[in-house]
Amino acid sequence: MDLNTVKERAGPREFSPADDLPREYREAATRMIEFHANSEIMGAYLERPFIRQAPSIDRKLAFSAKVQDEIGHGQLLYRAAESLGVKTREEMLDDLANGDGKFLNCFHYPLKSWVEIPMISFFVDGAAMRRQATLRRTSWEPYAHAMDKVCFEEGFHVKHGEDILKELMTGSRAEQQRTQEAFEEWWPRIIQFFGPTDDKSTHHDFAASVGLKQQSNDELRDAFLDQYIPKARKHGLEIPDEPRIRERDDGTYAVEEGDLDWDEFFTIAKNDYEPGLGQINGRKQAQEAVQWVRETIEDDATTAGGHAPQAAD
Amino acid sequence: MAALENPADLDEREREALETLLKRLADDEFVLAERYTEWQVRAPSLESDLALANNAQDELGHARLWYDVLEDLGFEEQELVYERDPADFRHATLVELPFEEGDWADAVLRSYLYDAAEELRLEALEDSSYPKIADRVGKIQSEEAYHLEHAQNWVERLADGEEGHQRLQDALDRLFPHALTLFEPVDPDVETDIVDLGLRDATLEELGEEWLSIVVPYLESLELELPVSSQVDDDTFEITEEMLPEKRGRDGSHTDAWADLHDELTHTYRDLGRSETTKIMEKPE
Repeated sequence: MDLNTVKERAGPREFSPADDLPREYREAATRMIEFHANSEIMGAYLERPFIRQAPSIDRKLAFSAKVQDEIGHGQLLYRAAESLGVKTREEMLDDLANGDGKFLNCFHYPLKSWVEIPMISFFVDGAAMRRQATLRRTSWEPYAHAMDKVCFEEGFHVKHGEDILKELMTGSRAEQQRTQEAFEEWWPRIIQFFGPTDDKSTHHDFAASVGLKQQSNDELRDAFLDQYIPKARKHGLEIPDEPRIRERDDGTYAVEEGDLDWDEFFTIAKNDYEPGLGQINGRKQAQEAVQWVRETIEDDATTAGGHAPQAAD
Repeated sequence: MAALENPADLDEREREALETLLKRLADDEFVLAERYTEWQVRAPSLESDLALANNAQDELGHARLWYDVLEDLGFEEQELVYERDPADFRHATLVELPFEEGDWADAVLRSYLYDAAEELRLEALEDSSYPKIADRVGKIQSEEAYHLEHAQNWVERLADGEEGHQRLQDALDRLFPHALTLFEPVDPDVETDIVDLGLRDATLEELGEEWLSIVVPYLESLELELPVSSQVDDDTFEITEEMLPEKRGRDGSHTDAWADLHDELTHTYRDLGRSETTKIMEKPE
Protein backbone atom coordinates (compact mmCIF):
# COMPACT_ATOMS: atom_id res chain seq x y z
CA MET A 1 0.00 0.00 0.00
CA ASP A 2 1.47 3.41 -0.84
CA LEU A 3 1.28 6.44 1.39
CA ASN A 4 -1.50 8.11 -0.56
CA THR A 5 -3.70 5.06 -0.24
CA VAL A 6 -2.96 5.01 3.50
CA LYS A 7 -4.04 8.63 3.78
CA GLU A 8 -7.20 8.02 1.77
CA ARG A 9 -8.19 4.98 3.78
CA ALA A 10 -7.04 6.32 7.17
CA GLY A 11 -9.89 5.77 9.64
CA PRO A 12 -10.49 4.22 13.04
CA ARG A 13 -8.96 0.72 13.35
CA GLU A 14 -8.41 0.65 9.61
CA PHE A 15 -5.01 -1.07 9.45
CA SER A 16 -3.81 -4.35 10.93
CA PRO A 17 -0.75 -6.60 10.61
CA ALA A 18 -2.48 -8.18 7.58
CA ASP A 19 -1.93 -4.94 5.62
CA ASP A 20 1.24 -4.18 3.75
CA LEU A 21 1.96 -0.69 5.03
CA PRO A 22 4.63 1.77 3.96
CA ARG A 23 7.68 2.25 6.12
CA GLU A 24 6.72 5.86 6.98
CA TYR A 25 3.49 4.72 8.55
CA ARG A 26 5.05 1.83 10.44
CA GLU A 27 7.83 4.00 11.81
CA ALA A 28 5.52 6.80 12.91
CA ALA A 29 3.18 4.32 14.60
CA THR A 30 6.10 2.56 16.30
CA ARG A 31 7.47 5.85 17.61
CA MET A 32 4.09 6.81 19.03
CA ILE A 33 3.26 3.46 20.65
CA GLU A 34 6.79 2.93 21.94
CA PHE A 35 6.62 6.34 23.62
CA HIS A 36 3.33 5.33 25.20
CA ALA A 37 4.66 1.94 26.36
CA ASN A 38 7.84 3.50 27.77
CA SER A 39 5.72 6.00 29.66
CA GLU A 40 3.79 3.19 31.34
CA ILE A 41 7.04 1.62 32.53
CA MET A 42 8.61 4.87 33.73
CA GLY A 43 5.39 5.93 35.42
CA ALA A 44 5.35 2.63 37.28
CA TYR A 45 9.02 3.08 38.16
CA LEU A 46 8.29 6.47 39.65
CA GLU A 47 5.32 5.32 41.70
CA ARG A 48 6.62 2.00 43.00
CA PRO A 49 8.19 3.37 46.24
CA PHE A 50 4.75 4.61 47.25
CA ILE A 51 3.38 1.09 47.42
CA ARG A 52 5.54 0.86 50.52
CA GLN A 53 4.81 4.36 51.75
CA ALA A 54 1.04 4.15 51.34
CA PRO A 55 -0.56 5.06 54.68
CA SER A 56 -2.99 2.11 54.92
CA ILE A 57 -3.23 -1.52 53.87
CA ASP A 58 -6.06 -0.83 51.43
CA ARG A 59 -4.17 2.01 49.81
CA LYS A 60 -1.10 -0.22 49.59
CA LEU A 61 -3.08 -2.96 47.87
CA ALA A 62 -4.64 -0.53 45.41
CA PHE A 63 -1.28 1.04 44.69
CA SER A 64 0.47 -2.25 44.12
CA ALA A 65 -2.34 -3.21 41.74
CA LYS A 66 -2.00 0.10 39.91
CA VAL A 67 1.73 -0.35 39.39
CA GLN A 68 1.06 -3.88 38.20
CA ASP A 69 -1.60 -2.64 35.78
CA GLU A 70 0.88 -0.20 34.31
CA ILE A 71 3.42 -2.93 33.67
CA GLY A 72 0.57 -4.86 32.04
CA HIS A 73 -0.23 -1.86 29.85
CA GLY A 74 3.42 -1.63 28.89
CA GLN A 75 3.38 -5.30 27.93
CA LEU A 76 0.26 -4.81 25.81
CA LEU A 77 1.58 -1.69 24.12
CA TYR A 78 4.98 -3.15 23.30
CA ARG A 79 3.11 -6.00 21.64
CA ALA A 80 1.05 -3.52 19.60
CA ALA A 81 4.26 -1.71 18.63
CA GLU A 82 6.13 -4.93 17.84
CA SER A 83 3.40 -5.98 15.44
CA LEU A 84 4.47 -3.13 13.13
CA GLY A 85 7.65 -5.03 12.39
CA VAL A 86 10.02 -2.12 13.01
CA LYS A 87 11.46 -2.91 16.44
CA THR A 88 11.31 -5.83 18.85
CA ARG A 89 10.27 -5.46 22.48
CA GLU A 90 13.82 -6.21 23.57
CA GLU A 91 15.12 -3.38 21.39
CA MET A 92 12.59 -0.97 22.81
CA LEU A 93 13.34 -1.96 26.43
CA ASP A 94 17.07 -1.73 25.76
CA ASP A 95 16.65 1.72 24.24
CA LEU A 96 14.69 2.79 27.29
CA ALA A 97 17.56 1.60 29.51
CA ASN A 98 20.19 3.28 27.33
CA GLY A 99 18.50 6.63 27.53
CA ASP A 100 17.44 6.54 23.87
CA GLY A 101 13.80 5.70 24.55
CA LYS A 102 11.47 8.65 25.00
CA PHE A 103 8.63 8.94 27.50
CA LEU A 104 6.23 11.45 29.06
CA ASN A 105 7.62 14.67 30.48
CA CYS A 106 5.85 14.19 33.84
CA PHE A 107 7.74 10.98 34.59
CA HIS A 108 11.10 12.74 34.44
CA TYR A 109 10.41 14.62 37.68
CA PRO A 110 11.10 13.11 41.09
CA LEU A 111 8.16 12.03 43.23
CA LYS A 112 9.06 12.85 46.81
CA SER A 113 6.01 12.61 48.97
CA TRP A 114 2.55 11.09 49.26
CA VAL A 115 0.94 14.52 48.78
CA GLU A 116 2.28 14.44 45.23
CA ILE A 117 0.54 11.16 44.46
CA PRO A 118 -2.72 12.71 43.24
CA MET A 119 -0.72 14.93 40.87
CA ILE A 120 0.17 11.75 39.00
CA SER A 121 -2.73 9.47 39.88
CA PHE A 122 -5.46 12.01 39.34
CA PHE A 123 -4.22 14.78 37.07
CA VAL A 124 -1.61 13.09 34.88
CA ASP A 125 -3.62 9.89 34.66
CA GLY A 126 -6.72 11.97 33.98
CA ALA A 127 -4.87 13.74 31.18
CA ALA A 128 -3.73 10.37 29.85
CA MET A 129 -7.30 9.12 29.94
CA ARG A 130 -8.40 11.99 27.71
CA ARG A 131 -5.74 11.26 25.15
CA GLN A 132 -6.21 7.50 25.33
CA ALA A 133 -9.94 7.75 24.85
CA THR A 134 -9.32 9.38 21.46
CA LEU A 135 -6.77 6.70 20.60
CA ARG A 136 -9.44 4.02 20.68
CA ARG A 137 -10.12 5.36 17.19
CA THR A 138 -6.51 5.30 15.98
CA SER A 139 -5.90 3.72 12.60
CA TRP A 140 -3.52 0.97 13.88
CA GLU A 141 -5.98 -1.64 15.08
CA PRO A 142 -3.72 -3.39 17.65
CA TYR A 143 -3.09 -0.01 19.30
CA ALA A 144 -6.80 0.82 19.42
CA HIS A 145 -7.50 -2.62 20.82
CA ALA A 146 -4.90 -2.16 23.58
CA MET A 147 -6.54 1.18 24.43
CA ASP A 148 -9.84 -0.56 25.23
CA LYS A 149 -8.25 -2.44 28.12
CA VAL A 150 -5.97 0.41 29.17
CA CYS A 151 -8.84 2.92 29.34
CA PHE A 152 -10.96 0.52 31.37
CA GLU A 153 -8.26 0.04 34.02
CA GLU A 154 -7.08 3.64 33.93
CA GLY A 155 -10.59 4.68 34.93
CA PHE A 156 -10.08 2.93 38.29
CA HIS A 157 -6.69 4.54 38.79
CA VAL A 158 -8.08 8.02 38.26
CA LYS A 159 -10.92 7.29 40.68
CA HIS A 160 -8.44 6.09 43.29
CA GLY A 161 -6.26 9.13 42.62
CA GLU A 162 -9.22 11.42 43.12
CA ASP A 163 -10.07 9.65 46.36
CA ILE A 164 -6.53 10.25 47.64
CA LEU A 165 -6.80 13.90 46.64
CA LYS A 166 -10.14 14.24 48.39
CA GLU A 167 -8.74 12.65 51.54
CA LEU A 168 -5.75 15.00 51.58
CA MET A 169 -7.87 18.08 50.88
CA THR A 170 -10.29 17.22 53.69
CA GLY A 171 -7.45 16.25 56.05
CA SER A 172 -5.47 18.38 58.45
CA ARG A 173 -4.60 21.97 57.56
CA ALA A 174 -0.99 20.88 56.99
CA GLU A 175 -2.09 18.16 54.58
CA GLN A 176 -4.18 20.64 52.63
CA GLN A 177 -1.38 23.16 52.49
CA ARG A 178 1.21 20.65 51.36
CA THR A 179 -1.14 19.30 48.71
CA GLN A 180 -1.72 22.82 47.39
CA GLU A 181 2.07 23.35 47.23
CA ALA A 182 2.51 20.10 45.34
CA PHE A 183 -0.24 21.16 42.97
CA GLU A 184 1.48 24.46 42.26
CA GLU A 185 4.72 22.65 41.50
CA TRP A 186 3.07 20.08 39.23
CA TRP A 187 0.42 22.16 37.48
CA PRO A 188 2.64 23.54 34.65
CA ARG A 189 4.09 20.08 34.04
CA ILE A 190 0.61 18.61 33.89
CA ILE A 191 -0.40 21.16 31.26
CA GLN A 192 2.75 20.35 29.31
CA PHE A 193 1.68 16.72 29.29
CA PHE A 194 -0.08 17.51 26.03
CA GLY A 195 3.12 18.67 24.42
CA PRO A 196 3.92 21.85 22.55
CA THR A 197 1.33 23.86 20.62
CA ASP A 198 0.32 22.45 17.28
CA ASP A 199 2.57 24.81 15.31
CA LYS A 200 5.62 23.58 17.26
CA SER A 201 4.75 19.88 17.26
CA THR A 202 7.12 18.01 14.95
CA HIS A 203 5.20 14.81 14.42
CA HIS A 204 1.60 15.90 14.51
CA ASP A 205 0.78 16.55 10.84
CA PHE A 206 1.88 13.20 9.55
CA ALA A 207 0.40 11.22 12.46
CA ALA A 208 -2.91 12.99 11.96
CA SER A 209 -2.92 12.53 8.21
CA VAL A 210 -2.61 8.74 8.50
CA GLY A 211 -5.19 8.51 11.27
CA LEU A 212 -2.79 7.55 14.06
CA LYS A 213 -3.58 10.66 16.06
CA GLN A 214 -7.18 11.67 16.42
CA GLN A 215 -6.94 15.07 18.09
CA SER A 216 -4.30 17.78 18.12
CA ASN A 217 -2.29 18.74 21.20
CA ASP A 218 -4.22 22.00 21.50
CA GLU A 219 -7.62 20.34 21.32
CA LEU A 220 -6.67 17.79 23.95
CA ARG A 221 -5.09 20.33 26.28
CA ASP A 222 -8.04 22.69 26.14
CA ALA A 223 -10.51 19.87 26.69
CA PHE A 224 -8.47 18.74 29.70
CA LEU A 225 -8.50 22.24 31.20
CA ASP A 226 -12.25 22.49 30.71
CA GLN A 227 -12.73 19.30 32.63
CA TYR A 228 -10.04 19.46 35.28
CA ILE A 229 -10.00 23.10 36.37
CA PRO A 230 -13.50 22.73 37.84
CA LYS A 231 -12.49 19.40 39.42
CA ALA A 232 -9.40 20.92 41.02
CA ARG A 233 -11.49 23.78 42.42
CA LYS A 234 -14.14 21.38 43.66
CA HIS A 235 -11.51 19.71 45.84
CA GLY A 236 -10.38 23.06 47.20
CA LEU A 237 -7.24 23.55 45.12
CA GLU A 238 -6.42 27.03 43.90
CA ILE A 239 -5.28 27.34 40.30
CA PRO A 240 -1.86 29.07 40.29
CA ASP A 241 -1.60 32.52 38.67
CA GLU A 242 0.96 31.23 36.21
CA PRO A 243 0.68 29.94 33.59
CA ARG A 244 -2.11 32.40 32.83
CA ILE A 245 -5.30 30.72 31.78
CA ARG A 246 -7.85 32.61 29.71
CA GLU A 247 -11.50 31.91 30.00
CA ARG A 248 -13.10 32.19 26.57
CA ASP A 249 -16.53 33.73 26.01
CA ASP A 250 -18.10 30.28 25.88
CA GLY A 251 -16.68 29.39 29.31
CA THR A 252 -13.90 27.13 27.99
CA TYR A 253 -10.24 27.64 28.94
CA ALA A 254 -7.01 28.14 27.05
CA VAL A 255 -3.50 28.41 28.47
CA GLU A 256 -0.99 31.19 27.74
CA GLU A 257 1.74 29.05 26.19
CA GLY A 258 4.47 31.63 26.68
CA ASP A 259 4.16 31.23 30.46
CA LEU A 260 5.35 27.64 30.33
CA ASP A 261 9.00 26.64 30.50
CA TRP A 262 9.62 25.13 27.07
CA ASP A 263 13.39 25.02 27.49
CA GLU A 264 12.90 22.61 30.35
CA PHE A 265 10.32 20.68 28.33
CA PHE A 266 12.68 20.18 25.39
CA THR A 267 15.59 19.31 27.68
CA ILE A 268 13.35 16.61 29.11
CA ALA A 269 12.31 15.50 25.63
CA LYS A 270 15.98 14.85 24.87
CA ASN A 271 16.34 12.81 28.10
CA ASP A 272 18.82 15.40 29.35
CA TYR A 273 16.94 16.59 32.44
CA GLU A 274 18.81 15.57 35.58
CA PRO A 275 16.15 13.90 37.76
CA GLY A 276 14.75 12.06 34.75
CA LEU A 277 18.20 10.87 33.81
CA GLY A 278 18.62 9.49 37.33
CA GLN A 279 15.36 7.61 36.94
CA ILE A 280 16.37 6.21 33.55
CA ASN A 281 19.67 5.04 35.00
CA GLY A 282 18.07 3.67 38.16
CA ARG A 283 15.85 1.49 36.05
CA LYS A 284 18.76 0.51 33.85
CA GLN A 285 20.74 -0.63 36.87
CA ALA A 286 17.80 -2.70 38.11
CA GLN A 287 17.50 -4.29 34.66
CA GLU A 288 21.20 -5.06 34.48
CA ALA A 289 21.07 -6.69 37.89
CA VAL A 290 18.63 -9.32 36.57
CA GLN A 291 20.35 -9.74 33.21
CA TRP A 292 21.68 -13.10 34.42
CA VAL A 293 18.11 -14.39 34.82
CA ARG A 294 17.17 -13.33 31.30
CA GLU A 295 20.25 -15.10 29.99
CA THR A 296 19.31 -18.26 31.89
CA ILE A 297 15.82 -18.12 30.43
CA GLU A 298 17.12 -17.51 26.91
CA ASP A 299 19.45 -20.49 27.12
CA ASP A 300 16.49 -22.54 28.25
CA ALA A 301 14.36 -21.29 25.41
CA THR A 302 17.04 -21.97 22.84
CA THR A 303 17.54 -25.54 23.96
CA ALA A 304 13.79 -26.08 24.26
CA GLY A 305 13.24 -25.05 20.65
CA GLY A 306 13.34 -21.27 20.79
CA HIS A 307 9.97 -20.47 22.24
CA ALA A 308 9.13 -17.34 24.13
CA PRO A 309 10.07 -17.83 27.80
CA GLN A 310 6.77 -17.85 29.58
CA ALA A 311 6.42 -21.24 31.22
CA ALA A 312 7.70 -20.13 34.60
CA ASP A 313 5.93 -16.83 34.61
CA MET B 1 -13.77 -29.50 70.95
CA ALA B 2 -16.12 -26.62 71.60
CA ALA B 3 -15.93 -23.84 69.07
CA LEU B 4 -14.81 -20.45 70.36
CA GLU B 5 -17.73 -18.64 68.77
CA ASN B 6 -18.02 -15.29 70.41
CA PRO B 7 -14.90 -13.14 70.91
CA ALA B 8 -16.59 -11.41 73.87
CA ASP B 9 -16.86 -14.73 75.72
CA LEU B 10 -13.19 -15.60 75.49
CA ASP B 11 -11.21 -15.82 78.69
CA GLU B 12 -7.73 -14.37 79.09
CA ARG B 13 -5.95 -17.55 78.05
CA GLU B 14 -8.11 -18.05 74.99
CA ARG B 15 -7.69 -14.46 73.91
CA GLU B 16 -3.95 -14.60 74.21
CA ALA B 17 -3.72 -17.82 72.24
CA LEU B 18 -5.93 -16.47 69.48
CA GLU B 19 -4.09 -13.17 69.32
CA THR B 20 -0.71 -14.87 69.21
CA LEU B 21 -1.74 -17.23 66.44
CA LEU B 22 -3.27 -14.48 64.35
CA LYS B 23 -0.30 -12.16 64.69
CA ARG B 24 2.03 -14.90 63.52
CA LEU B 25 -0.14 -15.41 60.47
CA ALA B 26 -0.86 -11.78 59.64
CA ASP B 27 2.62 -10.41 60.23
CA ASP B 28 4.27 -13.13 58.11
CA GLU B 29 2.01 -12.38 55.17
CA PHE B 30 2.20 -8.63 55.56
CA VAL B 31 5.96 -8.37 55.77
CA LEU B 32 6.54 -10.90 52.99
CA ALA B 33 4.20 -8.94 50.72
CA GLU B 34 6.06 -5.77 51.59
CA ARG B 35 9.32 -7.37 50.50
CA TYR B 36 7.81 -8.84 47.33
CA THR B 37 6.66 -5.41 46.17
CA GLU B 38 10.35 -4.46 45.90
CA TRP B 39 10.38 -6.54 42.73
CA GLN B 40 7.68 -4.49 41.06
CA VAL B 41 9.20 -2.77 38.03
CA ARG B 42 12.47 -4.63 38.78
CA ALA B 43 11.79 -8.26 37.90
CA PRO B 44 13.68 -10.00 35.07
CA SER B 45 10.84 -9.63 32.54
CA LEU B 46 7.48 -7.93 32.28
CA GLU B 47 5.83 -11.34 32.70
CA SER B 48 7.69 -12.25 35.89
CA ASP B 49 7.03 -8.73 37.16
CA LEU B 50 3.30 -9.22 36.77
CA ALA B 51 3.41 -12.67 38.37
CA LEU B 52 5.28 -11.58 41.48
CA ALA B 53 3.14 -8.46 41.84
CA ASN B 54 0.19 -10.79 41.82
CA ASN B 55 1.65 -12.89 44.62
CA ALA B 56 2.48 -9.78 46.61
CA GLN B 57 -1.13 -8.66 46.40
CA ASP B 58 -2.38 -12.12 47.36
CA GLU B 59 -0.19 -12.13 50.46
CA LEU B 60 -1.27 -8.62 51.33
CA GLY B 61 -4.86 -9.71 50.90
CA HIS B 62 -4.26 -12.62 53.29
CA ALA B 63 -2.65 -10.29 55.81
CA ARG B 64 -5.73 -8.14 55.53
CA LEU B 65 -7.94 -11.15 56.27
CA TRP B 66 -5.97 -12.08 59.37
CA TYR B 67 -5.69 -8.52 60.66
CA ASP B 68 -9.41 -8.27 60.18
CA VAL B 69 -9.94 -11.27 62.48
CA LEU B 70 -7.72 -9.52 65.03
CA GLU B 71 -10.17 -6.64 64.90
CA ASP B 72 -12.64 -9.05 66.58
CA LEU B 73 -10.38 -8.76 69.60
CA GLY B 74 -10.71 -4.99 69.60
CA PHE B 75 -7.60 -4.05 67.64
CA GLU B 76 -7.63 -1.49 64.87
CA GLU B 77 -5.44 -1.38 61.80
CA GLN B 78 -3.34 1.51 63.02
CA GLU B 79 -2.54 -0.36 66.24
CA LEU B 80 -1.77 -3.52 64.32
CA VAL B 81 0.52 -1.97 61.74
CA TYR B 82 1.16 1.76 61.70
CA GLU B 83 1.54 2.47 65.40
CA ARG B 84 2.80 -0.90 66.60
CA ASP B 85 6.32 -1.00 67.99
CA PRO B 86 8.51 -2.88 65.49
CA ALA B 87 9.64 -5.16 68.34
CA ASP B 88 6.04 -6.31 68.83
CA PHE B 89 5.77 -7.79 65.36
CA ARG B 90 5.76 -11.58 65.38
CA HIS B 91 6.78 -12.51 61.84
CA ALA B 92 9.61 -14.95 61.16
CA THR B 93 12.90 -13.30 60.22
CA LEU B 94 12.75 -15.11 56.85
CA VAL B 95 10.22 -12.59 55.54
CA GLU B 96 11.93 -9.42 56.73
CA LEU B 97 15.37 -9.90 55.15
CA PRO B 98 16.04 -7.45 52.32
CA PHE B 99 16.70 -8.58 48.76
CA GLU B 100 20.03 -7.77 47.20
CA GLU B 101 19.39 -5.95 43.93
CA GLY B 102 18.93 -8.51 41.16
CA ASP B 103 18.95 -11.53 43.46
CA TRP B 104 16.01 -13.28 41.85
CA ALA B 105 17.29 -16.61 43.21
CA ASP B 106 16.62 -15.31 46.73
CA ALA B 107 13.11 -14.21 45.73
CA VAL B 108 12.06 -17.54 44.28
CA LEU B 109 13.79 -19.69 46.87
CA ARG B 110 12.40 -17.67 49.74
CA SER B 111 9.02 -17.99 48.16
CA TYR B 112 9.44 -21.77 47.94
CA LEU B 113 10.58 -22.13 51.57
CA TYR B 114 7.74 -19.96 52.79
CA ASP B 115 4.98 -21.38 50.60
CA ALA B 116 5.89 -24.96 51.53
CA ALA B 117 5.50 -24.02 55.20
CA GLU B 118 2.35 -22.05 54.50
CA GLU B 119 0.71 -25.08 52.92
CA LEU B 120 1.28 -27.17 56.05
CA ARG B 121 0.25 -24.40 58.38
CA LEU B 122 -3.03 -23.82 56.55
CA GLU B 123 -3.84 -27.53 56.58
CA ALA B 124 -3.46 -27.45 60.34
CA LEU B 125 -5.98 -24.58 60.51
CA GLU B 126 -8.69 -26.16 58.35
CA ASP B 127 -10.62 -27.35 61.43
CA SER B 128 -9.72 -24.49 63.73
CA SER B 129 -11.99 -24.08 66.73
CA TYR B 130 -12.26 -20.38 65.88
CA PRO B 131 -14.75 -20.57 63.00
CA LYS B 132 -13.63 -17.42 61.21
CA ILE B 133 -10.13 -18.85 60.86
CA ALA B 134 -11.41 -22.11 59.40
CA ASP B 135 -13.67 -20.17 57.02
CA ARG B 136 -10.84 -18.10 55.61
CA VAL B 137 -8.36 -20.92 55.15
CA GLY B 138 -10.03 -22.23 51.98
CA LYS B 139 -9.76 -19.01 50.04
CA ILE B 140 -6.14 -18.59 51.02
CA GLN B 141 -5.25 -22.19 50.14
CA SER B 142 -6.46 -21.86 46.57
CA GLU B 143 -4.07 -18.95 46.00
CA GLU B 144 -1.16 -20.43 47.89
CA ALA B 145 -1.19 -23.59 45.78
CA TYR B 146 -0.42 -21.43 42.78
CA HIS B 147 2.36 -19.60 44.61
CA LEU B 148 4.09 -22.87 45.48
CA GLU B 149 3.91 -24.03 41.88
CA HIS B 150 5.25 -20.69 40.64
CA ALA B 151 8.15 -20.83 43.10
CA GLN B 152 9.03 -24.43 42.25
CA ASN B 153 8.98 -23.73 38.51
CA TRP B 154 11.46 -20.96 38.98
CA VAL B 155 13.69 -22.80 41.47
CA GLU B 156 13.95 -25.74 39.09
CA ARG B 157 14.65 -23.54 36.12
CA LEU B 158 17.42 -21.65 37.92
CA ALA B 159 18.91 -24.82 39.41
CA ASP B 160 19.43 -26.03 35.87
CA GLY B 161 22.01 -23.40 34.99
CA GLU B 162 25.45 -22.90 36.48
CA GLU B 163 25.02 -19.33 37.66
CA GLY B 164 21.46 -19.95 38.81
CA HIS B 165 22.53 -22.98 40.81
CA GLN B 166 25.32 -21.10 42.54
CA ARG B 167 23.02 -18.24 43.38
CA LEU B 168 20.40 -20.61 44.74
CA GLN B 169 23.02 -22.24 46.94
CA ASP B 170 24.15 -18.86 48.28
CA ALA B 171 20.56 -17.87 48.96
CA LEU B 172 19.86 -21.19 50.65
CA ASP B 173 22.87 -20.87 52.94
CA ARG B 174 21.65 -17.46 53.99
CA LEU B 175 17.91 -18.14 54.17
CA PHE B 176 17.66 -21.63 55.60
CA PRO B 177 18.28 -20.76 59.28
CA HIS B 178 15.76 -17.94 59.00
CA ALA B 179 13.20 -20.23 57.37
CA LEU B 180 13.37 -22.42 60.48
CA THR B 181 12.12 -19.51 62.57
CA LEU B 182 8.74 -20.03 60.89
CA PHE B 183 8.34 -22.85 63.44
CA GLU B 184 9.65 -21.01 66.48
CA PRO B 185 7.33 -20.25 69.38
CA VAL B 186 6.27 -16.76 70.41
CA ASP B 187 5.95 -18.13 73.94
CA PRO B 188 6.08 -21.90 74.58
CA ASP B 189 3.12 -21.92 77.00
CA VAL B 190 0.91 -19.94 74.66
CA GLU B 191 1.87 -22.22 71.79
CA THR B 192 0.73 -25.19 73.86
CA ASP B 193 -2.57 -23.41 74.46
CA ILE B 194 -3.02 -22.78 70.72
CA VAL B 195 -3.04 -26.52 70.12
CA ASP B 196 -4.89 -27.47 73.32
CA LEU B 197 -7.68 -25.05 72.47
CA GLY B 198 -7.94 -26.50 68.99
CA LEU B 199 -7.08 -23.25 67.25
CA ARG B 200 -4.52 -25.22 65.25
CA ASP B 201 -4.31 -28.99 65.26
CA ALA B 202 -0.57 -29.53 64.90
CA THR B 203 2.28 -28.39 67.10
CA LEU B 204 5.11 -26.25 65.75
CA GLU B 205 7.48 -29.20 66.21
CA GLU B 206 5.27 -31.39 64.08
CA LEU B 207 4.93 -28.74 61.40
CA GLY B 208 8.67 -28.09 61.38
CA GLU B 209 9.51 -31.78 61.05
CA GLU B 210 7.03 -32.24 58.26
CA TRP B 211 8.36 -29.21 56.45
CA LEU B 212 11.92 -30.52 56.68
CA SER B 213 10.78 -33.89 55.37
CA ILE B 214 9.45 -32.12 52.27
CA VAL B 215 11.94 -29.35 51.51
CA VAL B 216 15.16 -31.22 52.32
CA PRO B 217 14.71 -34.07 49.81
CA TYR B 218 13.34 -31.65 47.23
CA LEU B 219 16.29 -29.28 47.44
CA GLU B 220 18.72 -32.20 47.55
CA SER B 221 17.19 -33.50 44.35
CA LEU B 222 18.30 -30.22 42.77
CA GLU B 223 21.81 -30.89 44.08
CA LEU B 224 21.67 -28.13 46.63
CA GLU B 225 23.45 -28.59 49.93
CA LEU B 226 21.71 -28.17 53.26
CA PRO B 227 22.85 -28.22 56.87
CA VAL B 228 20.62 -31.29 57.38
CA SER B 229 20.65 -34.34 55.21
CA SER B 230 17.97 -36.86 54.34
CA GLN B 231 20.71 -39.44 53.77
CA VAL B 232 21.95 -39.63 57.34
CA ASP B 233 18.75 -40.23 59.20
CA ASP B 234 15.66 -40.13 57.06
CA ASP B 235 12.89 -40.50 59.62
CA THR B 236 13.80 -38.01 62.29
CA PHE B 237 14.02 -34.52 60.95
CA GLU B 238 14.26 -32.11 63.80
CA ILE B 239 14.97 -28.42 64.22
CA THR B 240 17.71 -28.02 66.78
CA GLU B 241 18.99 -24.98 68.62
CA GLU B 242 22.26 -24.77 66.69
CA MET B 243 20.43 -24.64 63.35
CA LEU B 244 18.65 -21.43 64.32
CA PRO B 245 19.78 -17.86 63.73
CA GLU B 246 20.34 -15.39 66.54
CA LYS B 247 17.27 -13.28 65.71
CA ARG B 248 14.09 -15.26 65.41
CA GLY B 249 11.33 -12.78 64.86
CA ARG B 250 8.62 -14.68 66.71
CA ASP B 251 10.04 -13.62 70.08
CA GLY B 252 10.30 -9.98 69.04
CA SER B 253 14.00 -10.09 68.23
CA HIS B 254 14.51 -8.88 64.67
CA THR B 255 17.32 -8.09 62.26
CA ASP B 256 18.20 -4.43 61.66
CA ALA B 257 16.55 -4.65 58.26
CA TRP B 258 13.16 -4.85 59.95
CA ALA B 259 13.57 -1.56 61.80
CA ASP B 260 14.42 0.14 58.50
CA LEU B 261 11.54 -1.48 56.68
CA HIS B 262 9.06 -0.56 59.41
CA ASP B 263 10.35 2.99 59.36
CA GLU B 264 9.82 3.26 55.62
CA LEU B 265 6.39 1.73 55.53
CA THR B 266 5.08 3.95 58.30
CA HIS B 267 6.76 7.05 56.87
CA THR B 268 3.73 8.71 55.25
CA TYR B 269 1.45 7.86 58.16
CA ARG B 270 3.83 9.57 60.57
CA ASP B 271 4.83 12.37 58.21
CA LEU B 272 1.21 13.42 57.71
CA GLY B 273 0.46 13.05 61.40
CA ARG B 274 -2.31 10.56 60.73
CA SER B 275 -4.12 8.85 63.57
CA GLU B 276 -6.20 6.43 61.55
CA THR B 277 -5.98 4.44 58.36
CA THR B 278 -8.23 4.66 55.33
CA LYS B 279 -10.31 1.67 54.35
CA ILE B 280 -11.46 1.71 50.78
CA MET B 281 -12.56 -1.87 50.42
CA GLU B 282 -15.46 -3.55 52.14
CA LYS B 283 -14.72 -5.55 55.23
CA PRO B 284 -14.01 -9.17 54.37
CA GLU B 285 -16.90 -11.56 55.06
